Amino acid sequence: MGEYTEELLQELLPLFYSRLFPCNSFYRWLSYGSSATFKLRELSFTLLGDIYIRYQSFESMENFSNELNKHKPIKIDIGAIYNHPPKYKTQIQKFGPVEKELVFDIDMTDYDDVRTCCSGTDICSKCWKFMVLACKVLDAALREDFGFKHMLWVFSGRRGVHCWVCDENVKKFTDEERKAVAEYLFVKKDGHKNILFGDKIHTSLRRALTIIKPYFNQMMFVEQNILGTDEGIKKFLKNIHEEIRIQSEEVLRSVEGSEARWKVFCDYFRTLSQKQSIPKIYKNTIEELMLLYCYPRLDINVSKGINHLLKAPFCVHPKTGKVCIPFNPKTVDKFDPATVPTLTLLVDEINKYDQITKEEEMADGVNSSKIKDYKKTSLLKSITVFEDFLRNIERELKQKRKPTPMEF
Amino acid sequence: MDLGLNRRRKQQKVIPDGLKELYPHDLNFFTVPPSSEISLSEFEDLAVERLNVLRILAFASQKPVKQFGTEWKNFVYEELQKQNLKKFLRIIKSSGSSNPSELDYQARRADHISHFILRLAYCRSEELRRWFKDRELELFKLRFLELRGASVQQFLEINNLHYYPINEDERDELREQLIDSTGGLFILDNTDFYKVPFSDVPNLVRNRKVFVQSGYAYIPSFELVTCISNIYRHTLSENLIYAFKRMPLLDDDRINHLLHNLNDAYTGKDYSEVNANKSEIQVGNLDKHAKDHYPLCMRHIHETLKANHHLKHGCRLQYLLFLKGIGLKYEDCMEFWRQEFTKNIDEDKFQKQYSYLVKHCYGKVGSMLNYSPYSCVKIITDSVGYGEQHGCPYKQWESTVLKEKLESYGLRQENAIEISEMAQKGHYQLACGKYFEYTRFKENKNVINHPNQYFDESYGAIKREEFE
Repeated sequence: MGEYTEELLQELLPLFYSRLFPCNSFYRWLSYGSSATFKLRELSFTLLGDIYIRYQSFESMENFSNELNKHKPIKIDIGAIYNHPPKYKTQIQKFGPVEKELVFDIDMTDYDDVRTCCSGTDICSKCWKFMVLACKVLDAALREDFGFKHMLWVFSGRRGVHCWVCDENVKKFTDEERKAVAEYLFVKKDGHKNILFGDKIHTSLRRALTIIKPYFNQMMFVEQNILGTDEGIKKFLKNIHEEIRIQSEEVLRSVEGSEARWKVFCDYFRTLSQKQSIPKIYKNTIEELMLLYCYPRLDINVSKGINHLLKAPFCVHPKTGKVCIPFNPKTVDKFDPATVPTLTLLVDEINKYDQITKEEEMADGVNSSKIKDYKKTSLLKSITVFEDFLRNIERELKQKRKPTPMEF
Repeated sequence: MDLGLNRRRKQQKVIPDGLKELYPHDLNFFTVPPSSEISLSEFEDLAVERLNVLRILAFASQKPVKQFGTEWKNFVYEELQKQNLKKFLRIIKSSGSSNPSELDYQARRADHISHFILRLAYCRSEELRRWFKDRELELFKLRFLELRGASVQQFLEINNLHYYPINEDERDELREQLIDSTGGLFILDNTDFYKVPFSDVPNLVRNRKVFVQSGYAYIPSFELVTCISNIYRHTLSENLIYAFKRMPLLDDDRINHLLHNLNDAYTGKDYSEVNANKSEIQVGNLDKHAKDHYPLCMRHIHETLKANHHLKHGCRLQYLLFLKGIGLKYEDCMEFWRQEFTKNIDEDKFQKQYSYLVKHCYGKVGSMLNYSPYSCVKIITDSVGYGEQHGCPYKQWESTVLKEKLESYGLRQENAIEISEMAQKGHYQLACGKYFEYTRFKENKNVINHPNQYFDESYGAIKREEFE
């Protein structure tokens, strides 16, 4: 079918929902082992023409699937689990959210001041590395610092990633607990006050630095070339404390090329450090700069509130036609947003598969039409990631609900 | 809510034996309400005494000295002495639970009963509850910090708070992490560390002041107060809501009258109503008002809007509610918003994406609530993300940025430096007050607690003068 264009959306969505959207797994996820839970979940639809319908909820998987096929939303958002089914919201007096996953949203536009390759909605393999680092740093912190186990990482369809933390105890977090975790993982940047951790670097940030370091030089100075231009140098100097700003500029301008400039700056700074002519609170400036450029830039308000909505996995981004696919954070280095399947690609793949099997069946006389449609496409990999994530949750739920055997 | 509010006056009877069991410790978590009888006059006296204690704390906390520091403490103690609040002075300065005398027990009783009386007086609105909670928390913290030796552990045990320090082996194992991740000055080997669920110390966690591993925070003994007072704050919040719900059951006029009077004694102003007297604010004058009468936070947002014809969500909320508070009418506000935003986007997009919030802020759609403009406390504590322009500039901006901005607004260099130094020390509201003085050329009598109060004192004062 060729390239995806926005006009094709309306034509292809019905097919997507009827044949490709993994309704069953989606239902299994939001049920967490109990159909009662699914009924209390707010799902909201955005229909063609930016018509936004909030507080939808569904009785069963069939009900949900039917409505999806009927309305063909261009976007599905997931909200909180409420004390009553959200669709009856107006009839209930004390209607309110009770549980929700802890979510994180990282968007490439927040990196516009540190990336030179693209801006706005564009992304390329160079700036995608910011997302790779964000994913690695955040995933490690959530696991090690907070002991969370069930993270679902999802490509947001255009230029960012989402993370859903789905542990049982996390879903019950109060706004205060969400805020504590979110701000712990949030580092302020220039223009505002600098990161300043004084003479000590918190263990969590130290871990982030170990993750960032192997990428840093290649990414920032070769690919982003942030010290290559006059403007770049000026921007960089704003993050250097006043007392050594002028000398730093001289040092930077003494050589050509981004990477070389970074190297002379580091040497210069270390020499000053050794002579102990750097005030104690600035002694970690190099580490600070690394975090300033590469530490995950969270849209913190999304994480803080229990009732904030976030786009569901497996939605199709209307502008790019790309599916918001889950991915494995362990192999995020290999994830390339450019190869994320689009609606048109998926339809082509199904057709091609059907065409081939039809020919084979004609030849062999065997009927193999029972195969699920998504298995015929490049969506298979991400659905497998999703299924693995589900199995882990379900295994844990089973263990918890099973009464402990008596000991003799 | 049996407060022993007996309709007949009775002489108080004190039974020391009972008191001993009731009050085993100087510091009280106030989980059990008093159930003895008390005369109306004592009821009133105790309420007023505690209110005075809390007011001293409120006053002290506005001073430009470190809260709970020596200077701050001395000021509080001197004031308590001056105002003859001896019982409270005794109970605050006491070291805990060893060998209490008859006087100690009387002080404990007064502390207990007066707390519950004020709970009733201050449970009736969000503003009142917040004020009361903040003060009681200061009082609790001060008292906890004064506890010495074994009385800390005794207090924890009496109140079923099971916190025990980690053993030396564990501390040695985590040596490096604890040194790197614990805020404040301390010597590791002389400091006990407590392993607590991270949700017990949300403030320490979110400011990255403690080592966190597998969901547990390792807090040094000097931060134990943060942990315990956070638990206290939670129970107090819940109890205030509970009291609020039970309040209508209290049908004694004399007591209600007293509680109401205490309530009136609180003077914080609510800016949620569009004041009819003020509503001569015209859109065309906003630029001038911004220059002359806005606090820095709002002036910056206004100028950002004028320059970019767009604001991020946090900014939009903070500014819209402020505009509502200074008396800009809904229709005018919508027009102003439309004029600015449609310089970048088309009318259709504006209607779809941006008009809703204006309606929402003025309580026209959604839950139809009349939202209050943000106070300084709210603005200061709000977190500000990348590229966002809202929040309190004295807190958010680097001191050089702040200084340059102030000078560009025509402040003299030494004044700009003075303000940015105040801001750097964390005295954001005092810095704001100074900004008022240097731009309005008159003394700022009240501490700035609200951007709308700032506007009122600047613009409203002129209007009032004209009127007179």
